[in-house]
Amino acid sequence: MGLERVVNLLPGAVMMGCTYTLVAIGYCLFFGVLDVVVFCCGDIAMFGAFGIVGAYTILYSAGLIQALPLVVMVLLLLLIAAILCAALGLVSYYVSIKPFEKSSTLMPLLSTIALGTVIKEVLGLVFQPVVNGMAQAAINVPDPKSVVGGRNPQGMPHLIAPTGTTMERNLIIIAIMVVILMALFIFLNKTKMGLSMQAISQNRELAFMTGIDVKRIILTTFLIGGVLLSVGGFVLGNYQSIIRFDGGTMYGIKGFSAAVVGGLKSTWGAVIGGMLLGFVEVFAAGLLNGGTQWQNIIAFLVIIVFIIFKPEGIIGEKTVEKV
Amino acid sequence: MDGFKKSLDTALGVILCNIVIAVLVHLIIVMEFVPSMIIMVAVVGIILVLDRFGVVNAMFDAFIHHKAVAIISGVILLIASPISLGSQNYAAHITTTAIIYMIACLGLNFQMGSTDMTNFAPAAFMGVGAYSVALCTVKLGWSPWVGILIGILLSVLFGLVMGLPTLKTKGYYLSLVTMAMQLAFTQVINIMPALGGSNGIPGVGRFTLFGLELYKRYTVAGIRFAPQIPYMFMCLAFLVGLTYVAMRVYYSKSGLSLNTIAQDDIAANCMGINVSRQKLFAFVIGGIFCSIAGSLFAGLDSYVGPETYSFSKSLMLICMLILGGMDNSIGIIAGAFLLTIISEKLRDVADFQQLVYGLILVIMLIVRPNGIIPKRVRNYCGITKRSVVRPAEPQKNPAE
Repeated sequence: MGLERVVNLLPGAVMMGCTYTLVAIGYCLFFGVLDVVVFCCGDIAMFGAFGIVGAYTILYSAGLIQALPLVVMVLLLLLIAAILCAALGLVSYYVSIKPFEKSSTLMPLLSTIALGTVIKEVLGLVFQPVVNGMAQAAINVPDPKSVVGGRNPQGMPHLIAPTGTTMERNLIIIAIMVVILMALFIFLNKTKMGLSMQAISQNRELAFMTGIDVKRIILTTFLIGGVLLSVGGFVLGNYQSIIRFDGGTMYGIKGFSAAVVGGLKSTWGAVIGGMLLGFVEVFAAGLLNGGTQWQNIIAFLVIIVFIIFKPEGIIGEKTVEKV
Repeated sequence: MDGFKKSLDTALGVILCNIVIAVLVHLIIVMEFVPSMIIMVAVVGIILVLDRFGVVNAMFDAFIHHKAVAIISGVILLIASPISLGSQNYAAHITTTAIIYMIACLGLNFQMGSTDMTNFAPAAFMGVGAYSVALCTVKLGWSPWVGILIGILLSVLFGLVMGLPTLKTKGYYLSLVTMAMQLAFTQVINIMPALGGSNGIPGVGRFTLFGLELYKRYTVAGIRFAPQIPYMFMCLAFLVGLTYVAMRVYYSKSGLSLNTIAQDDIAANCMGINVSRQKLFAFVIGGIFCSIAGSLFAGLDSYVGPETYSFSKSLMLICMLILGGMDNSIGIIAGAFLLTIISEKLRDVADFQQLVYGLILVIMLIVRPNGIIPKRVRNYCGITKRSVVRPAEPQKNPAE
């Protein structure tokens, strides 16, 4: 294995790390304000990716996409996906978390997993027939009977640098990611809203006492998390160029693992954990013989080892349980 | 309502109860999809209404008071139920599947219900049992019974390995570990050609008992029975035995310690319970149950594949547990039965199966998080026939 090979793998690893980071930050935000793990994050991200494909297909058949410049189009699509994901984030809060605020921690975990299953199954059942039907209606197909329903993988249009190489695309995605992360950190550390979020994450009762509108902050967190997840879905779809309706489960579990490896309450930890997981996966796939088959298993082994030996994460405070 | 409860608490009432339950179960199994669903919804609704008036609890009490009658009539009905299915292949098949899932759910309950440790890997335990039977019969040519034993041994090992992280972690971290193990299990099987890879292993050997083939059409007294019927008898025997074990564990000191750990493990530790040992015990005994269920499943389908023991199967088992009611063997059996029937009858529209599980889980968690037949207060006095407290004298109203 030469140095050249490592350098070639590097952008891919950073890319993968970035996609995991986005989901991991979603988990961190939700865990911070609510102390629950929202397990349908991966499925919400997948919903965003499907939303982009759907919007693209419909707009394309309506002839709008061709008329707009590329950047405007991408921003428009991202906006649509962000709105969809934020709405779904709110729905998931009201359906699967709010009813269980006072019950044990197991309940929200199970209910969000169940909600994730519902989201992905609805995507698998409904998406292709509906979107294809609407697209055909937009280009005035007289008989929209040829709609194929089903759970096939869905191709993702190349939206980032459609004519460029993979390397260019990866670099653009990394740049986008850095901008988003910067914006998020400025938001969390400099604005009143972000500071209240951190206050709630440290001590909810005290935050409530000091006059922070906890309910509003929670809702905002879900909106912001939804937007981040939509970007995650967008990036993942562009990286793999094919999305599957059930791809969100694995993506969500990896993102949660990244959050745990980094330390569940720390946003920087999420970045580090996501990068670590991305690097482990891509390098395992690239450097080992037949590694693509083993990459998931190696990633899971790393997670298990981490949980057993350092359960508080890389930068997490060690909590001592008090009676 | 009180008079009804009182009339329930007689030998005749208990027998009638058993017969009503058996007839309803028979109807749900045999009917077509739509009437079966209508009966099922009606039964669940009636149970929920009766529970509000405390009739379900009265029923449990009546069964405890008239234990001998209940057990004898129950066993007669259990023996009659496979025979009543006669030559209906499909009904026999789904009933056997339901029995196997009941065994797996009883195993899962040791971890999720009793100890409150989320285990997302029951299907992996089932896979251990199933693959050991498959490998023993197909690759080595041994009897499937040896496969069951090897599966039990392996699942003990697997349970210990899976249990080790529980000593260090709990809550979300534990669920993540089990989830990772479940996913890794499926992946490992997928990429190992020796384990059949993603194609699985077809032609798993059938069970035989004293030279009697257990998966074969027999004609007794002019009726051509479905081939699954003898196998169903064997699974029923396993179910009855394992339910007995599960109930004994529940009422034993060990079961009590598991419940204490679920409430607060630090307090349990302070009271002198060996928390690590009990947690490992829960994983090992649950693993054994699941492994036996997996072995039986391999014998029924005569095929094992990675998709059969994947994450979604684990989710299904968890869903059964929550639907039925955690930490109550009867509730778990009911939940496993209902969900298996729903999913098997939905086979024509297999795309909807997962959606149905998800919806049932969400709705049940919001509407009735304790399940259809929730956990009961332990009734030691009723079961051991020894009264700790003297029955209270009927109190007179001081105003009179």
